[in-house]
Amino acid sequence: MKVLYPEHIPAFFTALASRFELRLPVMLSDGTRTIGSLEDGPIALMGGAVPGKPTAAFFPQQGPVFTAVEGAVLPSSDQANRLFVAGFTGRDIDCLRFIDRFFADGWRDDIYFRQRAGAVIAGVSGYCGPGGALLPLIGGGCDLEFVCDGKCWLVLTYSQAGEGIAAELPDTDAEEVLHQIRIESLTAANEGDELIQRASQLLRANRVPDSFWSEIGDRCISCTGCNLACPTCTCFGVQDWRYANNIERSRMWDSCQLDGFMREASGHNPLGSEALRTRRRIHHKLAADPERWGEISCFLCGRCDVVCPTGIGILAVAMEMVDRFEQETIR
Amino acid sequence: MTMFPLSVHNSTQSLYVPLDCEIVAVSDLTPNEKLFRLRLPEGGALGHSPGQFVQVSLLGWGEAPISVSSSPTRDGYFELGVRRAGSVTSAMHQLVVGDTIGIRGPYGRPFALDKLRGRDLLLISGGCGLAPMRSLIQYCEDRTEEFGRLTILYGAKSVEDTLFKDDLTAWEASSRFACSRTVDRITGGGSCYSGNVGLITALIPPLEIDCTITVAVIVGPPVMYRFVIEELKKKGLTSAQIVVSLERHMRCGVGKCGHCTIEHLYCCQDGPVFWLNEVEHLRGAL
Repeated sequence: MKVLYPEHIPAFFTALASRFELRLPVMLSDGTRTIGSLEDGPIALMGGAVPGKPTAAFFPQQGPVFTAVEGAVLPSSDQANRLFVAGFTGRDIDCLRFIDRFFADGWRDDIYFRQRAGAVIAGVSGYCGPGGALLPLIGGGCDLEFVCDGKCWLVLTYSQAGEGIAAELPDTDAEEVLHQIRIESLTAANEGDELIQRASQLLRANRVPDSFWSEIGDRCISCTGCNLACPTCTCFGVQDWRYANNIERSRMWDSCQLDGFMREASGHNPLGSEALRTRRRIHHKLAADPERWGEISCFLCGRCDVVCPTGIGILAVAMEMVDRFEQETIR
Repeated sequence: MTMFPLSVHNSTQSLYVPLDCEIVAVSDLTPNEKLFRLRLPEGGALGHSPGQFVQVSLLGWGEAPISVSSSPTRDGYFELGVRRAGSVTSAMHQLVVGDTIGIRGPYGRPFALDKLRGRDLLLISGGCGLAPMRSLIQYCEDRTEEFGRLTILYGAKSVEDTLFKDDLTAWEASSRFACSRTVDRITGGGSCYSGNVGLITALIPPLEIDCTITVAVIVGPPVMYRFVIEELKKKGLTSAQIVVSLERHMRCGVGKCGHCTIEHLYCCQDGPVFWLNEVEHLRGAL
């Protein structure tokens, strides 16, 4: 097993920057943790999940589809250097696996895979959550994992790329500590997992009435924060930008919480009320995606519950659904 | 459900890069709708089936999903009936013969011709719905021996809003089709019109339908479906004998952008053509 000591972190990642384009948890000057480059601020592996979606490394808020110069279309270019993206929690890795599957299915989304192909994914776990809280071990699905044992970072590798990156790090014999973290990870099962399953079952059994969505819709202010923070939200719009010498077609995140999201040129709007839009956001993750993909597409990263100013993130809504409609059935 | 990845974009460098094609003819269908005849490089075939759509791309304006209005049996070109309803289609209406536009596609699940062959077909469309329906009608016209009785019903808001007037006249005169049309109301420009006035649903009760061999195909504005389906069910057709083509705003056409979902279905991939029994239970489908 390899180890990365805190004092070696800057040098380790600086060395990697010659081979990869780095995206790491960093601390911005305003105190915000985000995934950025070494130039954006000091590395901040500690602190748990970053507030923004880490999947943005491959599906950015806005990115080019192509550029047209004098009518000639030039597709967006390949990533110059392979990406190295660190900061994924175990839940984030699940999200990444889901959107990899989504973008690969049917028509393979070449824009996504230009960024994603060959990228190295590094997870974080151990005692690096807020206030040193435990983030459960990931155990795979990424190339390497940095496990905080409270003092330093144990480095676990799961691929050839991960082994190559960790090869120069010193060895350590920390099996006992790792075993302890593994045990704690197993017992730290999130009760949200069961809750979200129960909410999904209620939705799929059509046991949540429209009046509930009207209530939740009334609390929504359409800020779109939920969608913008969600690592499995992949909806996008397309916009052409006209410049003096070229035209750029770009795509950018869109939100199903906006009135115009599904509105057609004819004026027909299948999501014409906040109640319908709120239902769509939750139903899509908990009922539609299980139907289509065989799994719930909310992996309980918690971001929408953190950002929602009115308390209707997916976990909060799931809790309310279960409280109200499981009880009604039992009665 | 089946997807149809036979698409012209396979020859381009990216899924999202359109292919240029030339406008070889433009004609006015109504004051607000035009028919564009397009030709791919080297006159290549679009490779579509009736019911599919393309993403029309105008640099600087964006993209819009447009149904193909012509049958693949008509070689060397394809046609798009385009209503001026947004920035892309408004810009497209300014184009003339010789100009080029980009297209991606064809996309979507077409009409299941293998399941329509040998059947009596009741082809019901309203408003712009005649644009995709025309592709199927032309296909039936060109492969007439493959189908049973062919009945066309079309409803428009007014005489001025009636699309493909010349085609309708030809289909009415053809011994191969029983074609009826109606307009919701007579307005200023319709003083010479002597046909039916009223909703398209009024054309259904007089029909003699053999429910054992008939399939009804409906393409129209969202408000039309429920009422037409009700009339068809009164005639004894079941949901397994009714086909609908649903309108949604497909931004990407390839099941990625999320704007055309109907519960777990992606209209651009799993549709736009559905058997009624696949979607009638889904919230917001009809």
